[in-house]
Amino acid sequence: MNRLPAGLYQPGDSVVHRLDAAAKLLCLLLLLAAVVNTAAPAGYGVWVLLLALLIRLARIPPRTALASAAGLGWFFLLILLMNLCFYAPEQAWVSVWIFRPSSAGLLQGLRVAARVFLLLVMSNVLMVSTPPLALTGAFERLLSPLRFIGVPTELAAMILSVAIQFIPTLLEETDGIRKAQTARGARFDSPNLWEKGKAVLPLLAPVFVAAFQRADELSLAMEARGYRADIRRGRKKYPPFRACDWLALSLCAAAAVIFIIIR
Amino acid sequence: MSVELRNVSCVYAPGTPYETRAVTELSLTIRDGEFAGVMGKTGCGKSTMIQLIAGLMRPSGGQILLDGQDINGKNFDRDGLRRRVGVVFQFPEIQLFETTVKRDVAFGLRHFGWTEEEKESSVREALERMGFSYEAVKDKSPLGFSGGEKRRLAVAGVLAARPELLILDEPLAGLDPLGREALLTLLGELNRDGTTILMVSHDADTLAEYADRIILLKDGRLFRDGPAAEVFADYDALKDNGIGVCRVREAAEALRRRGWEIPAGTVRYGQLLDEIAGRWRQ
Repeated sequence: MNRLPAGLYQPGDSVVHRLDAAAKLLCLLLLLAAVVNTAAPAGYGVWVLLLALLIRLARIPPRTALASAAGLGWFFLLILLMNLCFYAPEQAWVSVWIFRPSSAGLLQGLRVAARVFLLLVMSNVLMVSTPPLALTGAFERLLSPLRFIGVPTELAAMILSVAIQFIPTLLEETDGIRKAQTARGARFDSPNLWEKGKAVLPLLAPVFVAAFQRADELSLAMEARGYRADIRRGRKKYPPFRACDWLALSLCAAAAVIFIIIR
Repeated sequence: MSVELRNVSCVYAPGTPYETRAVTELSLTIRDGEFAGVMGKTGCGKSTMIQLIAGLMRPSGGQILLDGQDINGKNFDRDGLRRRVGVVFQFPEIQLFETTVKRDVAFGLRHFGWTEEEKESSVREALERMGFSYEAVKDKSPLGFSGGEKRRLAVAGVLAARPELLILDEPLAGLDPLGREALLTLLGELNRDGTTILMVSHDADTLAEYADRIILLKDGRLFRDGPAAEVFADYDALKDNGIGVCRVREAAEALRRRGWEIPAGTVRYGQLLDEIAGRWRQ
């Protein structure tokens, strides 16, 4: 109850914190491409080591870094079981109804689970080490070439930044409603799954109503202050990448190339 | 229901850069049947204190006792706590979600093991207490009412459980004068019928009028605690600490400076009028 949500920016002064947000975002994309293309089990061992190094460099407490993957145990188990039972039916050990478990399936399950885990934790490192506004700025910057083919990138960036800014507000509101309903006798912490499922409605309905109300009020407030989507707004100038940004980018690019070639 | 806080502390997000001490070594007792008002600047720990007492948060240290029992103890009956302690949060109208008023007000009663008749009579009583006609509103959608009506519906949803301790966080914010008056009258009635009330408000005059006792918090610690006449008498300390001053007290002070002999404990409107009328007749 007194804990912070996973992925919340935590101010710091590490090398990772100081990198340009756009460079970090590109690095993440490169690393993700590399992770997805890793096939050998040993490769995942290397990734875990690299990830540990990254978390160390960012000086993020390991508990915080892993928070995004914690609590998803059921999800990982599901991925594993689905792959185990359905991935390679022709090599199955046994066949029970529609389930055909195989060792190739087991391996694939472990691989996919490892990928999802790495994706989650890497993205979390980015989120935790980058202020949300810098992150949306980075999106806008990276997407800006698309405006030459008519994509409304400014609009997209505005939508994104508004959405991101409202995450803490919505979380806080959800927490408040959860407490109000708990005080009225709702049970969110029941171990019974049926009870748990039923408890979602008293939480979701008010959160949605409040979110729509808030969106409505915000759009009115923006218009009242002269915002118009069809007029070009002044654009922020972003500083060029520094040496450390280029270094990080080339390291990640090298990793991507190596892993994609070796697999 | 009596409430006792023993050396209670509460820390948010410990071990992160966001660590905040919301409440520090707070000790106080609220007696059964008391109407206590809580005041303090934004961020002084009022809301945290409420949530701790209602068992919605765990303290980092210290004990909270309701009727002498530690609510975070192993054998404490949490479901019983939910029934016996009602909380009206700030802007409670947001918690409405059911398809009909009747279902929404009865929402909290599901887990208490009451019979249908008991539930229905409790819902009827709560709605009527809040000034609604049960038959007229029971099948309507709670979301179709006006802001002030929704507030009253939400309060009805808390009263339906017949709580022994009613905690309210700024229940008057945004209410029109009639709604305020109605809610305050109701709280007075409930208190007379034996409900212990703990109300957070920034409105010193209202608290002076209704509360037996004022608890002032400052930076998560107890700053002043006592009857309104005593707490609000310390005029300068309140002003210097950014806590709303009692206007009646302010008027009395102004009269005193002009040579009128008004006792320092004059904090209620009626009291002040009596004093003025008394001097006038002389």
